[in-house]
Amino acid sequence: MKRSTPYLLLAPALLFTGFILLFPLVQNLLNSLMHMTLGRGGTSWSGLENYSRVLSDGLFWLAFRNTVAYAVAGTVAALLLGLGFAVVLNARIGKFTDIMAFFYSIPWVVSPVVAGFAWKWLLNDSFGIFNEWLTSWGIVREDVNWLGDPRTALLCVAVARIWQFYPFAMVMFLAGLQCIPQEQYEAAEVDGATALRKFFHITIPNLRYVTAVLLLLGVIWSFNDFNMVFVMTRGGPINSSMVLPVLVREYSFVYFDVGKGSALSILVFAMLFLLSFLYLRVLTRSDAA
Amino acid sequence: MKKTALIVLMLVLASLVLLPFLWTTATSFKPLTEVNKHPPEWFSPNMSFEPYRDMFFYLPFSDYTANSLVVAGAATVLTLVMGSLAGFAFARFTFPGKRLVLLVLLLSQMLPGASVIIPLFQLVTAAGLYDTLVGLILVHTAIMLPFVIWLLYGFFSGIPREVEDAALIDGCSRVSALWRVILPLALPGLGATALFAFLGSWNEFFFSLLLTTSDTARTIPVGIGLFVGEYQDVWNQMSAAAVLFSIPPLLLFLLVRKTFVKGLAAGALQ
Repeated sequence: MKRSTPYLLLAPALLFTGFILLFPLVQNLLNSLMHMTLGRGGTSWSGLENYSRVLSDGLFWLAFRNTVAYAVAGTVAALLLGLGFAVVLNARIGKFTDIMAFFYSIPWVVSPVVAGFAWKWLLNDSFGIFNEWLTSWGIVREDVNWLGDPRTALLCVAVARIWQFYPFAMVMFLAGLQCIPQEQYEAAEVDGATALRKFFHITIPNLRYVTAVLLLLGVIWSFNDFNMVFVMTRGGPINSSMVLPVLVREYSFVYFDVGKGSALSILVFAMLFLLSFLYLRVLTRSDAA
Repeated sequence: MKKTALIVLMLVLASLVLLPFLWTTATSFKPLTEVNKHPPEWFSPNMSFEPYRDMFFYLPFSDYTANSLVVAGAATVLTLVMGSLAGFAFARFTFPGKRLVLLVLLLSQMLPGASVIIPLFQLVTAAGLYDTLVGLILVHTAIMLPFVIWLLYGFFSGIPREVEDAALIDGCSRVSALWRVILPLALPGLGATALFAFLGSWNEFFFSLLLTTSDTARTIPVGIGLFVGEYQDVWNQMSAAAVLFSIPPLLLFLLVRKTFVKGLAAGALQ
């Protein structure tokens, strides 16, 4: 009786999550190896045919390049921005700082759908205020269709994503900054170090661990991000902002090619599993240290 | 002097950061004629709450709001019940496989929604739950459980074992000790976790979009996400919906910050 207690307590949660998340994952792996229809499921084994169809699709490689750029460049930019905000907030001038910290966190708190909506409206070519400013300041001569132009669409979605993710980095960096022992700065001052030297020789090295965690989490989350891209561009125009999670939906629910969709989603899973594994290694190594 | 410069800098940053929301909020009060005006302006003399009324009247946002409340509420309760049992098991017992299960739960938080959606779609359809609130409640519960278990595992571990041992000596069973002694002590933590769970479900878009097809089951984010493509011309009503939809998360965020501080204080006092 006593030995089984923890298992009984765990059973409801694990069975439930297992049934709704892990069972479909296994099913998906099987699906990716079969000829598939959305309505009736697998009809017969197809070997690796679905995978080779994905890998020989130019759209897959476009989406792959976009996703990597979106996730890596976007995360690095969001981390730099978050660090900047954290340094400003770390100046701590009373209650005012707390209020500002709340305002700076707002993009992270509201739904990604609302965030995408707000950016889409801000960037609207004829009725958005952004173009109005650019033209009245003489930066561009006529309104730019930011989300309708294949050259700028992905960049705009990435900017919105950076704007949504930086508050998380800010909060983590701020906590990290406040953990740095003050003595290190005092010792540096005795040696006559400049503010810049202190920042690069004390602050940055002390934030190494937080940075590693944020970098991996940011890349994992952005790699997974469906919402921002779907709401702002749906991957268009002409697939110029297509990313892998949106492409899975496209394959399966737009072209109804479920076999291809399954194979792609297993590829996405494999890439993310690798990243998550790295993340766990960073986490556990720091526990030992 | 330096302080003034900092305050100015912080205010400038705040207005830059909030720009997309300020623009959306301004739009949500304008009549349609002034929304579709070129060049656009921040303010108009005819601002009113009309778009807020109209979106409930002309767009199906009253249905969406009811759906969102039911789904998020039910998913929060389900997640918390199952999550606190599991969190308690991790915090108080050592058993074979504990580390592995915790690790799998951590990993499953990073599971791409895209990698399970097709079989899940088939499963939900086969169970007759496609395009129903029950289907969404179950799926939301499952995707939030791993995170909630980790959170509650942390909170329960923070409660001193002695409190529970005292209850055991007084003749309580382990489970009734959980119910009568641990749960009340964990209340601040449970409250914060409930808010996180509610927020997670309230904001969830991917599964809600792909597992519903009609207004009887669509939630607010699905409404906003789809209308962006379909009804481009009513930006003022859509903005009003986006603003209203954002108020609960913002309020909850303020609350969670306080609850966390309270939770910490309660832990320190024991």
